[in-house]
Amino acid sequence: MAFLNRLILTLGGIALILASCVLTWSVVARYFLKVPTPWQDEMAVFLIVGSVFLSAAAVQANRGHVGIELMASLLPPRANRIRMIVVDLASFAFCAFFAWKSWTLLHEAWVDDYHSSSTWGPPLWIPYGLMALGMTLLPIQILLQIGKPVETRGHA
Amino acid sequence: MSVAIIGLLYAGATLTAMMIGVPIAFALGGVAVVFMAIFMPSASLDTVTQNVYEEMASITLLSIPLFILKGSAIGKSRAGQDLYSALHAWMHRVPGGLGIANVFACALFAAMAGSSPATCSAIGSAGIPEMRRRGYSPALASGIIAAGGTLGILLPPSITMILYAVAAEVSLGRLFLAGIGPGVLLVFLFAVYTVWKFRQEYRAAEKVVAAGGKPTAILDQHEYTMAQKLSSLPRVAPFVILLTGVMVALYGGFATPSETAGLGAIMALALIAVIYAVWKPTDLEPIVASTLKESTMLMMIIGMSLLYSYVMSYLHISQSAAQTIVDMHPSAWLLLFAVLILVVMLGFFLPPVSIILMTAPIILPPLKAAGFDLVWFGVVMTIVMEMGLIHPPVGLNLFVIKNIAPDISLGDLIWGTLPFVLLMMLAILILCFVPQIATLLPDVVMGPPRR
Repeated sequence: MAFLNRLILTLGGIALILASCVLTWSVVARYFLKVPTPWQDEMAVFLIVGSVFLSAAAVQANRGHVGIELMASLLPPRANRIRMIVVDLASFAFCAFFAWKSWTLLHEAWVDDYHSSSTWGPPLWIPYGLMALGMTLLPIQILLQIGKPVETRGHA
Repeated sequence: MSVAIIGLLYAGATLTAMMIGVPIAFALGGVAVVFMAIFMPSASLDTVTQNVYEEMASITLLSIPLFILKGSAIGKSRAGQDLYSALHAWMHRVPGGLGIANVFACALFAAMAGSSPATCSAIGSAGIPEMRRRGYSPALASGIIAAGGTLGILLPPSITMILYAVAAEVSLGRLFLAGIGPGVLLVFLFAVYTVWKFRQEYRAAEKVVAAGGKPTAILDQHEYTMAQKLSSLPRVAPFVILLTGVMVALYGGFATPSETAGLGAIMALALIAVIYAVWKPTDLEPIVASTLKESTMLMMIIGMSLLYSYVMSYLHISQSAAQTIVDMHPSAWLLLFAVLILVVMLGFFLPPVSIILMTAPIILPPLKAAGFDLVWFGVVMTIVMEMGLIHPPVGLNLFVIKNIAPDISLGDLIWGTLPFVLLMMLAILILCFVPQIATLLPDVVMGPPRR
């Protein structure tokens, strides 16, 4: 999982830089080359949405999804452990549900061949697929961490 | 079951989930899904993911990671230090000039990076040790940086404002411009306070000497030659060009806000490659990794908050809450006061992004009905949320400073930032009486608002 997370962060980073390039290109194309740019915005959306969902698990790996840590400092250690397990189970339940519904959505988009409504009209299974994959990795990552104490805290 | 009871249950469930420490994104999403399952037609559960995707796949929202990338590129380079030392070289003659240089550096950096914690750590990591070496009290030094850092969400490009523009359906360009005047006002107030406080600390040090004590560092005079001053400029100029370039692209009508974000990110990466030789994949890795982590965390909260408010509006909770407030016919100022208190209280626990998305559907309709300009309110709300960044218990900026200057006690930190919180309240008061500080600039640049 650690290797996978690293790989995803690298890919996601490249996707973000690519998205910036695409948007920069769209300005250049419009003003200097006078070429219409129907696909840039959507391309950038796919790249960014994809990298956001894919890296959700990598962020969870060092508990980077922020929560309110007020109770942690108030409870005795034993109660705190129980609290953390409850929190992780709740997070897992929600993310697993979300993952399941992402796959059904992907299936639907694939079978009925959904396309976005723009002039470019790319197939929607691409972003849905990335979302499904990312949201599947996330509950797996949470499951691996259940009840484990916070090692490094990411800050916002 | 009546809407009021469902609404109370909804709020109660959310509070409980968040208070036990479920990550904000999952708490919002989870509560929304559970209420969908109980109170909404079962088919709605099948479209949850599509809902979240469609809300998130907006190019305006997705400019947020790109703005973060731009900020992170600049933040991870030495640009912060350079900017700060250049300003200091030019301002050292003014009493408290070092402190003022820090405030200015924070403001300029915030305008480039758009994030409060990033500004705090970029300017503070050089600024706080330097100020303390020159005899500033730890409280004053950390207060200046914590408060200066909050300018990050007020000056464009501000992530918080992007969200507000989406939630309130106001023009993002206008909102960005409206933040500039109040930003300058805050910089001015901060600078005046810094001079006053510096004088006070300076006189205290003089008294110690007069009483036969040892002279402290605060009494030292420093001189910079003209050559030193001029040599500091070339390193700063490119970033000022980046800042103006981005503004021209946005307001000259050359690029949409999201294109500006992409353009800014590429320009920032190019600049740090040329000036600081940061271009190797190993150098870039920490920049993109931290960008991704921050943006994923934020975008998950944003996506789930949108799902949360979708459920809230489907169940008519937001509408009836808003209607109840309108029906009470509160006087405009009482309403504003109550809303701001609510935002302050939420600011104790929640980051600005969730505050905006969760409260907008409830508080904006009554404010609009009471005749407030929503662009103006966006600016005021942003300043209020800035206060949340520097007061306990969440006070994100306080933790950033605690990280870069671990030996400053939390008490010093809090007492040091408190005067700045008061100054922000003063700024809000001024804005209430002179709203033109916010609205004049957008009116001049973009023409009067369409009503």
